[in-house]
Amino acid sequence: MEVIVLGAVTSSVYALLAVGFTLIFGVARIINLAHGAFYAVAGYAAYILINLGGWPVLPAMLAAVLITALFGVAVDRVFVRPLRHSHMAVLMITLAISMAVEQGLTVAFLGEARSLPPLIDGKVSVLGVDVAAQRLLTLLVSVVLIGALWLFIQRSRLGAAILAISQDPEAAEYVGIPAERIFALVMGLSAALAASASVLASPFLSVQPSMGLLPMVKAFCIVIIGGLGSIPGSILAACLLGFTETFVAFHISSTWSEVISVAAVFAMLALRPAGLLGKREAF
Amino acid sequence: MTPIPRLPATGRRTALLGTLGGVAGFGLARPALAQSGQPIRIGMSMPLQVQLGRDARAALGFAVEEVNARGGLLGRKVEVAFADETDNTEAGVNGVRKLLNDDKVDALVGHYTSGTFLAAMPHIARAKRVTVIVGASSPAIADRVKQDYARYKYIFRTTMNASNQSADVLDFVSGMLVGELGLKRIGIVAENARWAQDIATLLVEGAAKVGAQVTVNETVDNSTTDFSPILSRVRSSGAQFMMTLLAHSKGDLLTKQWHDTRVPVLWGGIDGRAMDADYFNLVDGKCLSMIAANFAVRAPITPRTIPFFDSFKERTGHFPSYTAWTSANGFHVYAQAVERAKTLDADAVVAEMERTNYEGVEGRIEFDDRHDARSGPGLLNYVFAQWQPNGERVVLWPKAIRSGAMIVPPWLSDARTPG
Repeated sequence: MEVIVLGAVTSSVYALLAVGFTLIFGVARIINLAHGAFYAVAGYAAYILINLGGWPVLPAMLAAVLITALFGVAVDRVFVRPLRHSHMAVLMITLAISMAVEQGLTVAFLGEARSLPPLIDGKVSVLGVDVAAQRLLTLLVSVVLIGALWLFIQRSRLGAAILAISQDPEAAEYVGIPAERIFALVMGLSAALAASASVLASPFLSVQPSMGLLPMVKAFCIVIIGGLGSIPGSILAACLLGFTETFVAFHISSTWSEVISVAAVFAMLALRPAGLLGKREAF
Repeated sequence: MTPIPRLPATGRRTALLGTLGGVAGFGLARPALAQSGQPIRIGMSMPLQVQLGRDARAALGFAVEEVNARGGLLGRKVEVAFADETDNTEAGVNGVRKLLNDDKVDALVGHYTSGTFLAAMPHIARAKRVTVIVGASSPAIADRVKQDYARYKYIFRTTMNASNQSADVLDFVSGMLVGELGLKRIGIVAENARWAQDIATLLVEGAAKVGAQVTVNETVDNSTTDFSPILSRVRSSGAQFMMTLLAHSKGDLLTKQWHDTRVPVLWGGIDGRAMDADYFNLVDGKCLSMIAANFAVRAPITPRTIPFFDSFKERTGHFPSYTAWTSANGFHVYAQAVERAKTLDADAVVAEMERTNYEGVEGRIEFDDRHDARSGPGLLNYVFAQWQPNGERVVLWPKAIRSGAMIVPPWLSDARTPG
């Protein structure tokens, strides 16, 4: 039962991270290695607002998500747009942004881990399992956010534009959809999802300059397993990975749980390069 | 060569210098000598991005400043060069090589990570530089000194090695947990590092001899961020006390996750970060009731302890990490030996280092035949201090210096609540 409850929490954080990462690939066809930097920027933005600005926790976390979304849009406009024609150039510039953010945070805040206060303190018993209330909140908010994103894409005009761009950018532009604006919007959405994962998980994890690396690696693994560009594939892969890692940590050793995602990527690339729900091979 | 940073002057500078540095190390006060000749260079390799590294750097700076104010060492000014050990072995070893080859230091004081230091040992042996370790605790370091004395005799350690640490941990288990509290079921959570596994092994072997039983022995990776499975296994094993052995792992996350899920098991042990005075604030007070092993806390352990803590706080604004006083001690032990040897010749200084009898902040420092600081009554010992409200630390063990009563987490009615 503990594996189910705690695995669901882990899966939800993974899904938030991976959905944003796969969204930007599905629409703009770029692999954004600055995705982990979005996660770190949000953590520090919330930390600054709460600990230095004296803001209440909820407004600070919402503002951190907004700030990170704007940072994502700026990254797209300033760095990615001029290089969009070259996958390799985009890879390099987003990697550079990721490293610059980490180094900048190290210089500004030193290497120490810092804490974010939880939105809800205390523990809750779910199916006989003691869970920190913040973890449960993370699970619920993640489900709501992913559901809202799904509805937005499927039901709104803007969502239809995003779908059109993802299916055929040139045809979409012919019918008047501004592709560059859509790309910037999607980058902002992607950053906001990473930021949401960050402000929800940081209270039971921590805020430190290198905090974006592991989420970036996890997100990458998940979208490879789920299929690059496939949101349902990412959600499915996030659940598979989250539950498997938790199962291994509980029944074998937490030392082995970190190996799972790497092994799964190897297996997927060897057996089904397109991923679980991907339509074509990404590499 | 990095100059020692200028520190804010205070009206109490003279008094502070005396308490911070250890006047006894240099005998009677004497007029400042005119400093002449090439400066003596001390190299320090520590993880400078984290508090314990910065505190080590500050304390070494204070100690060197004090010696320079008294005329230097052998009439020569002392300078310090730094290298960032980081948490990467290769970078750490390169830092040591930079100190030896580029900065051309005369001695080394520092070194936090056992694995990095073990990798750097051949370079130090080749360079024949007296080296004082202030943090790395693996017995394997002293084993090499013992096994190949001619090659590694330049290496000393002014902090407790893992064997001595395990003896003190076992004494705490026997005397306090079993003897006073009746807690006989111990769960071990040790990081995947040599020093921790060494202690865990000794603890498992020794527990039965003192009437305790190890119910679970968990190993965690340094990259582990979710401690839920570990906490769950400790709890379900029936452990009454969770003993942690962590230095490089994310002990702050374990602390937060233990608190947030209100795990009904009392806990404590060795945690490098929990030794720091700012730990209570770092984890938002969630370490309340944790019993952390320390090399010293602000308590009358030796006549030097409280003055050192107060002076360090006066000059830096915060209480020191343990690496602060092990670094100050390390430098003074070396400086004493140089003064006695009247030369910088490494072999002569080593011979004098072996005769060290220095009252440090946490106890008297003497070296055994493996060049490890001895442990025992009056020497170096662990102090088990509990985090209590408002970030106060209350010494619980050794009993002789107990400074207050133990508390339990708010969600436990008493320490013997079954796990």
